[in-house]
Amino acid sequence: MNSKSETDEASRGNEASSSNNESTPSIPKSHSVAGLCADTSSNKTKDIMKRAAAKQLIERYFYQLLDGCGNPECDNQYCASSGEARNLTPNEAAAEAIKLFYTEARLCDSLPSKMPRTDPSINIVCPPTPCVTGTAMNIVMEDNISDFPSCSSSRFMDKFKPDSSQQMDSKNIRHNNGAPLTEERIYQLCDECLQSKKPQYLIRALAEAFTQPAVLARCFQRKLGDTDNSSEGKNKPDKESKAMCSSSDPDKDVDSVTGPGLDVASCRRAFQYLAKVPSEYYSSALVTALSTLAENLIVEMKLSKTKTLTLDDTVNCFVIAFEVPDLGCSRYLDIALPLLCVAAENLPVIAQAKLARIWAQYCKDSLRHILETLQQLITLRVISTNYVRNFQLQDDHTVTMATKIMKILYYANMLAGVMEPSTLREEPVVIASQLDPLGDALDHLYPLSSIKNLKQAPYEDPLAIELGINVLDARKPYLPFEEFYNEPLSDTIEMDIDLANCKTDVDDIGNKFSFLKYPFILTAATKSLGLYYENRIRMYSERRVSLLHAVVGAAPPMPFLRLKVRRSHIIDDALVELEMIAMERALDLKKQLVVEFEGEQGIDEGGVSKEFFQLVVEQIFNPDYGMFTQRPDELTVWFNPTSFETEAQFTLIGIVLGLAIYNNIILAVNFPMVVYRKLMGKKGSFEDLADWNATLYNGLKDMLEYTGSDLEEVYYQTFRICYTDVFGNNIFHDLKENGDDIFVTQENKREFIDLYADFLLNKSVETQFKAFRRGFVMVTDESQLGMLFRPEEVETLVCGSKNFDFNELEKSTEYDGGYTAESQTIKDFWSIVHSLSLEDKRKLLQFTTGSDRVPVGGLSHLKLVIARNGPDCARLPTAHTCFNVLLLPEYENKEKLEDRLMKAISYSKGFGII
Amino acid sequence: MAATRRLQKELNDIRQSGLKSFRDIQVDESNILTWQGLIVPDNPPYNKGAFRIEINFPAEYPFKPPKISFKTKIYHPNIDEKGQVCLPIISAENWKPATKTDQVIQALVALVNDPEPEHPLRAELAEEFLKDRKKFTKNAEEFTKKHSEKRPTD
Repeated sequence: MNSKSETDEASRGNEASSSNNESTPSIPKSHSVAGLCADTSSNKTKDIMKRAAAKQLIERYFYQLLDGCGNPECDNQYCASSGEARNLTPNEAAAEAIKLFYTEARLCDSLPSKMPRTDPSINIVCPPTPCVTGTAMNIVMEDNISDFPSCSSSRFMDKFKPDSSQQMDSKNIRHNNGAPLTEERIYQLCDECLQSKKPQYLIRALAEAFTQPAVLARCFQRKLGDTDNSSEGKNKPDKESKAMCSSSDPDKDVDSVTGPGLDVASCRRAFQYLAKVPSEYYSSALVTALSTLAENLIVEMKLSKTKTLTLDDTVNCFVIAFEVPDLGCSRYLDIALPLLCVAAENLPVIAQAKLARIWAQYCKDSLRHILETLQQLITLRVISTNYVRNFQLQDDHTVTMATKIMKILYYANMLAGVMEPSTLREEPVVIASQLDPLGDALDHLYPLSSIKNLKQAPYEDPLAIELGINVLDARKPYLPFEEFYNEPLSDTIEMDIDLANCKTDVDDIGNKFSFLKYPFILTAATKSLGLYYENRIRMYSERRVSLLHAVVGAAPPMPFLRLKVRRSHIIDDALVELEMIAMERALDLKKQLVVEFEGEQGIDEGGVSKEFFQLVVEQIFNPDYGMFTQRPDELTVWFNPTSFETEAQFTLIGIVLGLAIYNNIILAVNFPMVVYRKLMGKKGSFEDLADWNATLYNGLKDMLEYTGSDLEEVYYQTFRICYTDVFGNNIFHDLKENGDDIFVTQENKREFIDLYADFLLNKSVETQFKAFRRGFVMVTDESQLGMLFRPEEVETLVCGSKNFDFNELEKSTEYDGGYTAESQTIKDFWSIVHSLSLEDKRKLLQFTTGSDRVPVGGLSHLKLVIARNGPDCARLPTAHTCFNVLLLPEYENKEKLEDRLMKAISYSKGFGII
Repeated sequence: MAATRRLQKELNDIRQSGLKSFRDIQVDESNILTWQGLIVPDNPPYNKGAFRIEINFPAEYPFKPPKISFKTKIYHPNIDEKGQVCLPIISAENWKPATKTDQVIQALVALVNDPEPEHPLRAELAEEFLKDRKKFTKNAEEFTKKHSEKRPTD
């Protein structure tokens, strides 16, 4: 291992000069077929291959020095078989190998493998030509032969000289268009290799299978009784396994779910077994093979006429390739993975959708690994490249291709998780387009507000359409969405340029890459920067339009959205003014906000409007105001269904919220998440209750999970439910007609729960919410908010990131049972708490208070009590979540305290009965 | 008032079963969501008196747990000066809607009879309970005599 990696290092170092020009990667996209064949790879891929080839050569020198070529009559002084070379340690051999590589010393060639072809591309075009053993390897090598004049292809092959039995095998292979690998074959090869310490058969088998899409697609097939895959035509196994698939998975849509023949689990087991073999035996061969595979696939896909591969086959190749466990290791990452990404980009949308479905259905366990590998590639690339003006992040194909494939993974991840039906949608809000005749006329003359026109066609991802999924329906993705964020990329990216790319991207020409179309990879902060630029651009364009108005002599509209309010009547004034604007000229809402307090000098450069929002929010959300109710259990506010306020007023609150986002101002509101989901267009459903009212959710869930046939008896629940209004009155509501006479049974409990949730989250506040959403949409309808942000991220936009200020908490905490702020245990406690990670702090909050939400006004409003719970003992800390009391025994030292505290908060779920 | 069918049923069941340790159940006809009753413990030092409690059922009962508070003052490690009690069976995390109120009451009576100093609401009483049981019993007895209600005679 040692010697090997040294060899690599050395070769990489030596190759550094040739790989410097990598920073201008350009994968030819619209080459003619001929062009493509002659120049399969760009400079970059050539470089990569040069490196790979050099590595391979060095490796061969290395093994020749150590093990010999196997020919007893060898006369090569650099070959162990000749007996002339002295015995070397692996390290010495590695150094020697590099020297030999540079002096282009003699390599034994005992294999009569003269490859007569001069145009390697012929073979790529028709991969399953009969002669194929190891062809693709040769293609790669031959490409490089010009760079290493003294190395002949025949020499190269000697390492892979098959013995007679193997030759028999390969003869068979020839007749079969290449025998696909199976799990058993890999086991066998690995065992052989481990025994003999000679990897050549393994390498050979891997190279054969992995270079050719047509062969690889047939590898790791599901076992089909007596059917012999290798002797079958292409279509038959496919059909059969499809049928099998449908019989085993009757729910699945057979037509849309592919990957029938491929047994991913078997493939994974094979790779696991392969890992037993020291990776230096086969890794460079596999890297080269994968790279060639990628190129073959590209050619294959571009030459749509010569349909040698079905789409399913192509997809299978990608599935297998991305199962390679070492894909994240250096050489794979440098060479093979980028090529695979490029190849994947060529997949038609249908095939991408297939890949996503297969990943979602069969490869859940691999999703994280694939994602991490892609992230690694992107991160490595981003931090090692200096992006300059004419070479932006968006021009870096390695990054953009990886991002594109990550998109497939992103959808697969949603499909693999919990999805909800897409029927639960809020009705779209239609804002009547505002008449602005003069503005429109001017637009014709001077297309200044061109942004306005672009808004009509909001970008929708074709893959999402093909898969028929929407991020709003992803209740619980398999991996959390946060894992798709790439922070280095988000930090590096220039959002203004990205936004420009996004706006100018008209399908045919230019085709600039814009990460805004791949919003999953950007952190919320970066996206909000994009939104900020977009909003600013629109604001400026509004300003310019009004300037034009002035020039033409028409009554100039205000360039700003000006609000003049009295401090003492801030709500009334603001609402009256906004109401007027909303009714008469809603377009003005999109102008830059300028607030003026009557009788005050302050000029609004942002600060005044900030204060304005603060004051407005404080008052509106005050329960005394009656529009929203504070819900003490959940620390959130909710619409007051019995509010006396008019709809217009809720519309205005919606406008305020929208304005806050539009003007980049953070508000101190604490809506439950379902509000943001509803704002983005998804109706509230049962799962939303978990955040809306956890206790109720758990109670209902309990009933849902109750399996006894006596449910009716035990719960004695009818379709009439009861709730308390703001005044403390209990109000009854029938979820169905005559609900009081319909008992909840095992059969209808799901219906009951759905109706219950629908009532609480949608029906009971329908009027208020509709008005609220209308206001919100009035401001944000033209922006990309809906496309860029998930509901969770919109929450961050509105309220800022949750502020866990534990210093504040420490100040407000009270002590009981003998503790004071000066007690050693307490001091230790806080020093431990302050050093906790954000995640652990959340857990601590959850543990002591039953919720990880920060109350409005910050943690100081939490009223935490820490009570002494006896002297040092073995017990864990406990908590009374009902009263925010943490019971802490006086542990003898800080280490013990830390240990116990961490245990308590980490395993607090399921807190048993005392 | 029919949404409280279950509560009505539970109330009837409890009244019929004639629990010895929970008596004198009073429910306002206009609001079945609030019950009052008398806890009559068997174990010393609390067997010298009776304790009035109030059970508040939320509108969403049984999907949300009831809350219990003591109206009579009691010297007990698990019940604080305000009469609040932390009973795991009705805590939000552990609540099961299938749990019946009589089970809750039994759990409460058990807690009153046998304090659980490991999870105290009043840490000082818990410490006294563990370290000096005699003193604790004496204090609790005196307190009970002074503050508790009369035990029903039957």
